[in-house]
Formats: sequence, structure tokens, C-alpha cells
Amino acid sequence: MSKKCVAMLLAGGQGSRLGVLTSKIAKPAVPYGGKYRIIDFPLSNCSNSGIDTVGILTQYKPLELNDYVGSGKPWDLDRMSGGVHILPPYQGQKGGDWYKGTANAIYQNIEFIERYSPEYVLVLSGDHIYKMDYTEMINLHEETKAACTIGVMEVPLDEASRFGIMNTNSDGTVYEFEEKPKHPKSQLASMGIYVFTWEKLKKYLTLDNDNPDSDNDFGKNVIPLMLNNNEKLMTFRFKGYWKDVGTVDSLWDANLDLLNPKINFDLSDKNWRIYSRSNAAPPQYIGDSAKVENSLITDGCVVNGKLDFSILFENVTVEPGAIVEYSLVMPGAIIKSGAHVKYSIIAENAVIEEGATVGKDPTEVPLGEFGITVVGGNVTIGKGAVIGAAKTISEDVKGGEKI
Amino acid sequence: MRTQAVAGIVFANSHDECLEPLTRVRSMASLPFGGRFRLIDFALSSFVNANITNVGILVKSNYRSLMDHIENGVSWDLDRKIGGIRLMPPYNEKSMRRYDGYIEALYGAVEFIKRCNSDNVVLYDGCVVGNIDLGSALDFHNEKDADITVLYKKIDNYKNDIGAMTFSYDLSGRIKDAAFPKTFSGTAATSFGVIIFKRSVLLPLLTKAYQEGKKHIERDIIAENLNCLKVYAVEHKGFAAVMDSRDAYYKANMALLNDRIRNDIFVPSRPVFTKIRDDMPTRFGINSKVSNSLFADGCVVEGTVKNSILFRGVKVEKGAVVENSILMQGVTVGKNAKISYVVSDKNVEFEDNKNVIGTEDKVIFTEKNHS
Repeated sequence: MSKKCVAMLLAGGQGSRLGVLTSKIAKPAVPYGGKYRIIDFPLSNCSNSGIDTVGILTQYKPLELNDYVGSGKPWDLDRMSGGVHILPPYQGQKGGDWYKGTANAIYQNIEFIERYSPEYVLVLSGDHIYKMDYTEMINLHEETKAACTIGVMEVPLDEASRFGIMNTNSDGTVYEFEEKPKHPKSQLASMGIYVFTWEKLKKYLTLDNDNPDSDNDFGKNVIPLMLNNNEKLMTFRFKGYWKDVGTVDSLWDANLDLLNPKINFDLSDKNWRIYSRSNAAPPQYIGDSAKVENSLITDGCVVNGKLDFSILFENVTVEPGAIVEYSLVMPGAIIKSGAHVKYSIIAENAVIEEGATVGKDPTEVPLGEFGITVVGGNVTIGKGAVIGAAKTISEDVKGGEKI
Repeated sequence: MRTQAVAGIVFANSHDECLEPLTRVRSMASLPFGGRFRLIDFALSSFVNANITNVGILVKSNYRSLMDHIENGVSWDLDRKIGGIRLMPPYNEKSMRRYDGYIEALYGAVEFIKRCNSDNVVLYDGCVVGNIDLGSALDFHNEKDADITVLYKKIDNYKNDIGAMTFSYDLSGRIKDAAFPKTFSGTAATSFGVIIFKRSVLLPLLTKAYQEGKKHIERDIIAENLNCLKVYAVEHKGFAAVMDSRDAYYKANMALLNDRIRNDIFVPSRPVFTKIRDDMPTRFGINSKVSNSLFADGCVVEGTVKNSILFRGVKVEKGAVVENSILMQGVTVGKNAKISYVVSDKNVEFEDNKNVIGTEDKVIFTEKNHS
């Protein structure tokens, strides 16, 4: 059955800058916002935008991601025709290969896309937090008869050199693309969201694949190639909240943004729900000795300690006398009595033993030495241990140890 | 071969009349409970945790909310090609009138019982709250080669016009005699309406009782046949409560604030499943003060909440104080309002500065969508 638009979600990246948080799971499976995972955002956006056919390109540590996506039911993407499809690299008659780059991942799945003979292909990445109606972008693409439409947003000039920058004409068409320019000419950064006319994309993916020197990457190779061939590249201006959560700091920031009343990013909007797969957990219990302010807490948590500016994910325990501030505590983690966690990310099922201290307040450390501390999944921090600022802990720490 | 050794049947409208006004708009089985559940969740979860995946729900009236909740059974993994879940509204060859009594209700499922091809059928009263280990009870039932096994709880001091089946049993667990007191003091083994029947025993007894115009399963089928059938009793040692009065409903909810009871009902190995609603986590604002309370997702708390249970999407605005109360989905408590000992149905708005104060002996129940 043919579809107007098929979405291809790039979810194969390791996300190496997230360190221990992605040592066992792919970046799109990283927990966010108390009950979500990063991939919930592009999947919910697709579902809410009426796109019912989504290919998810996986490569790095796909097990948990596969389980999480499952049949696609939580996002209403379990469809007779279309729906979600996990697309790992595969072997063909002439052998096979890993996905070499983002463009190569799509190239290797031309057959999948052709099954739906779409007019357009939406290329998304699995590491952004945002709510976006893709239909507006597809409509613009259709109206302007572009070969490719690129989602862009304005970033502060002093940050522009961290992004791929689109230099545009007054009608919004792109005349130049610069990857991380030292002297940016514009503030329009690419969000890594593309709408392609499928015939065009197929042509350029094939050309790109024939070039042995190419890295087979969209931003680096395919977009410049199309530009050089005078294809019409359009920009779609996005004005809402968008965050790349590729680093520990940005992941922490993007989570704490949910507690900031000045930031307009509402996940309770009934017209644009963000769906997630939930487990059967009881409601959260806040005990007699608890003190809870400015925090997000979800099902299965038991809180008897003090909580401020923090986010607790499913089934987290905070014992009496424990303090959690400016931190994310991911599913199943336990913060024991008298432990003090600040400016940290505690990953899934980690245990912070009694009296341990994890992380430092920015005022406690010399300028330039501050950073978010990360305790990896299933790691135990022993009784009374002290973990400083900006540390990454991937193995158990003995009681009383100082790191 | 893949078999469905056990089928389950839930009575969805049992004792509806005891929980007015909450059951004015819904069946007993769809009564909200414990922050994010409905009573049927406990029955269905007990079934699926014991691998009972062929389930019929007997409904009489007011079952739209139940249908909304159950959908196709996917939340309990009961959207099955073989077995699965089905709602069974009244069906009568002669007329479409509502049934009268449990036996007529159950007889409405006689075709289901005939066709289910299981060795045993579990009858489950829809007004029971608890995490019932049916797997162990079925093992006991099979070991004894029992015709009927009644799950019971030891109850102290009972008083309710509905009456409960109490009984005595011998060392092997076989029930010797049964009584149906409306009141008793002291401790008695009391049925809470979860009963395992051998299917081959149930069918003829049910047909006969129906034809004779009998109404009560425990009295007219079980107690009548204690001598000629092997009727056993097995104790449910954990928490179980029957929602046969407003007081019982309030107390059973509040019992969840007790760690021991909460851990007894929410056993990780036997989860209580419910329909997912995709709310964001609950947000606690600046100066929120909360203690000894349960919260579902989607609440926004900027005031004080103490000894209470808040369902999904409840808003407690600045300066508001909520104590000893149960607030169902979508309730709003306005600024500086104060409510205590209130059970509020869904979407009720308590205006700013409003005081609604009940007492432990006189809990105030408010109706759905009021303000």
C-alpha cells in the first residue's frame, strides 16, 4: 500500500558523549523526563502528525531499544499497513555491511521505503527532545516543490559555530551550508530533520554511495551534493523548544528545563501527547518524613527524604534523611538514608549507600572544575563514599572512598 | 497442546447499591481505586498472573465506563486470539430484562462456560480489592481434587446487611458447615467471593439452580451441597477487602498508605496492571508540602497534601490544603481551599477559599463533575 510520507528514524548512534549512560543502551533509549525515553519524542511526533509508517534504523546495542519499541502500540503505531519497523543492518546475496553513515543507513533500506512508494521521506534523528507537527513541514515542502526541506531554528550567534548552519535567501531557500563554521554568517542551525522528495533522495543516495571518498553522511555529504547540483533546498523555521541531548550536560539541562516555569515545554498538553511505554507500577508514595519541592515524580517511587529541583524516574526509592537536589534519578535507583546527591545523574538501578555524597554544588568547587556527575547503571556507591563534581563512575565504589 | 485449563468470570455489578453516589455513573468493577486503578484491575491482574487468559465479564448496567477501561484487554495482555476477554451483557431468550441475583447472572454465561473447555472456572466478585494469588489456590484445588474451593479471609467483627458466608472446616481444609450472618463478633473464616469450581460440577448445579429460580451462589449452590461435594477452603493471607459500603471503600483506599499493606498489594512478581493514560509525571511546585500520600501521574501540587490519595491529573493550587481525602481523576482544589475527609468523584472543582470538611465518621462523598 502506498503512503504519502514514510519516516526514517536514525537510532543507531552510540552517543559516545553520554559515556556510561549509553554503555549498554543506544542513545534513543536513554530515559528522559521521569517516564520517557528520547525516542518517544520523534515517535510521538510522527504519530501525532499522522505519519503511520516509521523505519527505525538501529545498529549500536539495539536490544533494549527493540524491546522498548516492540509492536509500536504505545505510540499507536501497530498498524496492519505500515507501523514501526526496526531496521538493523543485514546480509544480502553479495554480503552486507554495517551502516557506514546516516545516508548509508537509508541507502541500505531503499527496498523498505520502496514498498510504500512514498512521495516524501522524512528523516529524523533519535537524539532530540522537541514537539513538532511534521505536517506543516511537509506542506511547505510540497508547496515550494523543493527537493529537500530542512528543519532549522535560530540559535544565538555565539553558539552558531557548534551547529550546521544554513545560509538562506530571503525566500528561505538555501544557497550555502556550512558545518560548524568558525565565522557563522547566519543563526539558522539545522535540526537534523529533513523532508526529501523520495525520487530525489533515491538519486542522491545512489550517487553518494558510488563515491568511495564519501562518509555517507547527510549533513556532510548528501546535502552539499544536492546543493552543488542546484537542487532546491528549502528551510522550515521551527520556533518551539528543541534540545539536542547528545552530552551529559545537555541531557541534564533538558530534563531540568521541565521544572523551569519560564521555559515553554509542556508535556501535559492533551493535544500533543508524548506517549511512552509504561510498566505496571503502583502510584508514587510520599512519606511522612518527606520534603518535596520543585520536582517531577512518577509511578512506583517511594520518597521519604528531601527532594528539590529533581526528577525521579519509575520505581526510585529515596530513604528517610536522604537529600536529592538538582539531579536526575533514573528507574529503579535507590538513594539510601543520609546520602546526599546533588548536580548528578544517577543511572538505572544504581544504589547510593548510606551517608554517601555524590556530586558538588557549583559554589563548592573552583571555577572551571564544575560539572554534572554521572553514576552508571547498576553501580553501587559504598557507605560514606564521596564523589566530586564532574565525575563519571562506571564501577562500584567502596565505602569511605573519595573520588 | 496449548490449553486453557482455567477460565475466569467476573461479576461486574456486584453490590453496586452500596457505593452510591460513586456507582450512580459506573459499575462496581469500574470504580476508581488506589490512585490509578479500577476495581476490575485487581481481578484481571490476579487472573493473568495465574495464567488465566480466558475471561468473561458479567455486566448488568452502567458498564460504559467499564468498556472504556477494558478496551480489547490489551492492558492485561488479554487481547488474545485464543481466549482473551469478553464483556457479557444480560442475555435472556425470553426477554432482555436485567438479571436478578448471581445465579441468573452467571447463567447468562452458561454458553461461555460450556464452550470454554477448561477443567476449572474461577468466579470473582468484582468488588474485591487485593492481590489474590490464584495460582497457589488452584494448585491447592487440584491437589485436593476439590469440586469447589472457596478463598477466605479471617475477618473480625462483621456487620453488613448483605451478609457474608462464614464457615468452619476440618484439618484438611474441607468445609463442614456454612452460615450467612449479617453480623458477628470475634473472628470467622469469611468468603470474599472468589471461588474455584470444577467446570463439570458447576454446569449441572448452575442449570438446576437457575431452573429452580435460586439466586445466591454461595447459599443455594455451595452451602446446599456441602455433604455431597468436596468443598474446600483456602486462606488468602494477604490484604483483601470487599467494597460493600462507603466506609469499606474509604478504609481500603486509606489502607494503601500503610507500607505493609501497600507492599502486600503491589507485589513485583504479581503486578497490578491497568490502562495506561500517558500523563506526564506529577509536578510538585515551590512551597508544596506533601506527606503520607499517594499520587498518580499528571497531578500538579502547589499546596499541602496530607494522608490522601490523588488520582491522575488532580490539581492542588497554592495555599490549598487537602487532608484525609480521596480525589479522583481531574479534580481541582482552588487556591486556599481546604478539604478534609472528602471522597471526590472525577472532575469536581473545589473553588478558591472553599471549605469542605468531613469527619472520620462522616466522610463526605461528592458526585462527578460537580463544582
